[in-house]
Amino acid sequence: MPEHGVARRHRARRWGSLGAATLAACLAMPVDADEATARTDLRIGNGGEPQTLDPHRYNLRLEETILNDLFLGLTTFDASGAIVPGAAASWSVSEDGLTWTFQLRRDGQWSDGRPLTAADFVYAFRRLLEPRTAASLAHFMYPIRGAAEVNAGTAPLASLGVRAAGDHELVVELAQPFPFFAERLIYPTGYPVPRHVIEAVGDGWTKPGVMVSNGAFTLHDWRPQARVALRRNPRFFDAERVALERVAYYPTSDANAAYNRYRAGELDAISDFPAGEIGWLNANMGEHVRLTPLVSIMYLVYNTTAPPFDDARVRTALSLAIDRQLITERVLRSEEQANAGLVPALVPGYQSALAPATARPARLARARQLLDAAGHGADAPLRVTLRYISGSESKAVQLAIAAMWKDLGVATTLHHADTKTHFADLRQGNFQVAQAGWFGENNAQHYLDLLVSETGDVNYGRFSHPPYDALMRQAYAEADVARRLALLAQAEAVGLAQHPVTPLYSVTTRALVQPRITGWIANPRNVHGARYLAWR
Amino acid sequence: MAAYLARRGAISLVTLLAVVTVAFFLIRAAPGGPFDGERRLPPQVEANLRAAYHLDEPLVKQYGRYLLMLCQGDLGPSFRSKDFTVNELVASGLPVSLTVGGLALALAAGLGVAAGAVAGLSPGRRLDRALTLAATAGLALPPIVTAPLLALVFAVTLGWLPAGGFESPRHVLLPAVALALPYLAAFARLTRGEVAQALTAPHVATARAKGLPARRIVLRHLLPTALMPAVSFLGPAAAALLAGSMVVEEVFALPGLGRHFVQGALGRDYTLVLGTVIVYAALILAFNLAVDALYTRLDPRIRLTR
Repeated sequence: MPEHGVARRHRARRWGSLGAATLAACLAMPVDADEATARTDLRIGNGGEPQTLDPHRYNLRLEETILNDLFLGLTTFDASGAIVPGAAASWSVSEDGLTWTFQLRRDGQWSDGRPLTAADFVYAFRRLLEPRTAASLAHFMYPIRGAAEVNAGTAPLASLGVRAAGDHELVVELAQPFPFFAERLIYPTGYPVPRHVIEAVGDGWTKPGVMVSNGAFTLHDWRPQARVALRRNPRFFDAERVALERVAYYPTSDANAAYNRYRAGELDAISDFPAGEIGWLNANMGEHVRLTPLVSIMYLVYNTTAPPFDDARVRTALSLAIDRQLITERVLRSEEQANAGLVPALVPGYQSALAPATARPARLARARQLLDAAGHGADAPLRVTLRYISGSESKAVQLAIAAMWKDLGVATTLHHADTKTHFADLRQGNFQVAQAGWFGENNAQHYLDLLVSETGDVNYGRFSHPPYDALMRQAYAEADVARRLALLAQAEAVGLAQHPVTPLYSVTTRALVQPRITGWIANPRNVHGARYLAWR
Repeated sequence: MAAYLARRGAISLVTLLAVVTVAFFLIRAAPGGPFDGERRLPPQVEANLRAAYHLDEPLVKQYGRYLLMLCQGDLGPSFRSKDFTVNELVASGLPVSLTVGGLALALAAGLGVAAGAVAGLSPGRRLDRALTLAATAGLALPPIVTAPLLALVFAVTLGWLPAGGFESPRHVLLPAVALALPYLAAFARLTRGEVAQALTAPHVATARAKGLPARRIVLRHLLPTALMPAVSFLGPAAAALLAGSMVVEEVFALPGLGRHFVQGALGRDYTLVLGTVIVYAALILAFNLAVDALYTRLDPRIRLTR
């Protein structure tokens, strides 16, 4: 999910993953006596309690996991994470890249039997962007013409560039070319919501027994902090190929507890397990372990508005001293991928224009020269405070970084806080250098936007470099994907030469999945729709 | 007695108001707000959101609004769990915490007093020394250590009991034991000391001199007075156990009040944190009051007047 920092993962990995078969443990859970008939229920540890199941108000990756099963957007993803048609059977894009026309499936319907029409999507996009809905991720749809203005309350709802041309044709007009729009639509912010239910019951429409959805499953039961239970939706267009009858998501906020429940056979898949168990698991339960590199970037961000990091030489020196391989291979040790660019290496089609790194001794020598030149020589050593999000795994990384900087004579003080406090400090510019992270979409722009001066809050370091902004503006206006990517790569090289951030690595999600489940295919989005899963 | 209890009840209400007030302003002083993510919301959206929860009003007005709501038994909407009210969350979490805590209290008080009495009646003997050692160990090991161990041994390795969740009576056993252990040890030590001392008390010596049978001496003369400290400990123990343990609920994935509290605090869910704090405070005050009332029943020397 875009715009939701990877940094959180170090406190508790929240994304869900799906899984399979259980040891028939002698527990209170119903056990399949007959091994010959495949099980049709699945119990998934989802990392935490959803704060809402309203697709327009959602904010967390773990909510996205459940919403993906309940609803279906215009586009969706297949078992391997590739973008495929969803509620729209097909779509076409105008030559200028500004008009997207979607042909909806004729057999699309809500779980209560009402037909799903283009008008439902018009209502949904308007509801998402209406200020009264207070959708925190409404900006996902800002590529649509008029969306930002409607969301800011400065333009009427009717001015939004989304209209129905008949029951089964939806026309979306964009403000600027946005070749990644089909991908943007797979997130819950692009899902239809049942107008007929919402207008009848109001905010209570997400309750079990009330909610009407259009996905492969419907909401059956929701007990806070206990579980969210789904049932197969027989009215889903592809219901025949959905093997599971029941799916339950458990709010496993504690990785140790989740791990115990998995090993006791009470959960069939968990989205995270304690990092320290990886060795034992690989040796004893190797076929359960699923390590999946995620399109994501962890990085250090420097506050470019205040000394000492308003000086690019200081930032460059500290960046040069970092040994990424050491962090991933010796500290983290669960197959994280060192990444020198801000764009994760997993992003398809993107060719980084960054120069390859030189050996560390040479980099250290250069870094010392830069620090000397900036007035932080041996007689006036640099003192910095490095902020990070509380958590032992995260602390190990920051300790390693402090040790690397010590090679330059830099004294680092570590300061940790919970997620909310950490990002509140970052937003207010109350930091020198801090841990941050970003994950979500599979395209380069999603990451490079972080350094654009108008980006605002998530450009935590308030980096502002006119040549970078100019290249990014050129890229935004370019409808041709190849030329756009080339401009983005150029921008990345120009921006990172100023070292506003030090990219570190892409994270790897670690899940446990029963080996008897089929359809759980590792993919960089780490999405595993329950409609694709089955017991062997 | 009725007048005393009424007076104490009034004092409890004042205490509760103080707790609400302190908690109300303290949680708002924590950095970060309920709607903060990594990215700030568009100003109009944030303004609408803040208005919907009355966060745009002066703090004192918010406080007044909250007290008014509270008087009507309404704990307000949850800021974080957007699809539930705080009343709904408390109603879903409290029975879980009460069930686990109730069983833990029964285990701790029942077994603790029994073990303490047995040990105290034969001070210095091997049984006494063994029980005292076990009680010391129990006191020294907090649930954060014992709970994961119990889960590992009895759920993961032996597979006798579930490792987490709240779906059947079997799910309650391990968390109740983990929760009970330190209190069981405390009850045992308290009772052992008092029983051992009471053996030499004048009224027990008199009863013995009168030639009463040992059984009658212990049950009628010795235990009632020796149990007083255990009874007074019942109040804080009940409050601590019944209100739900954040650690045990997290380890055993119990959907209790403690989990709501932790998640609420981390998410700056002002109303949810306040709601759980109020329930905790009310429980503690109620149990202390109940224990005071119980004193008079056990020890005729105590009269509750002022």
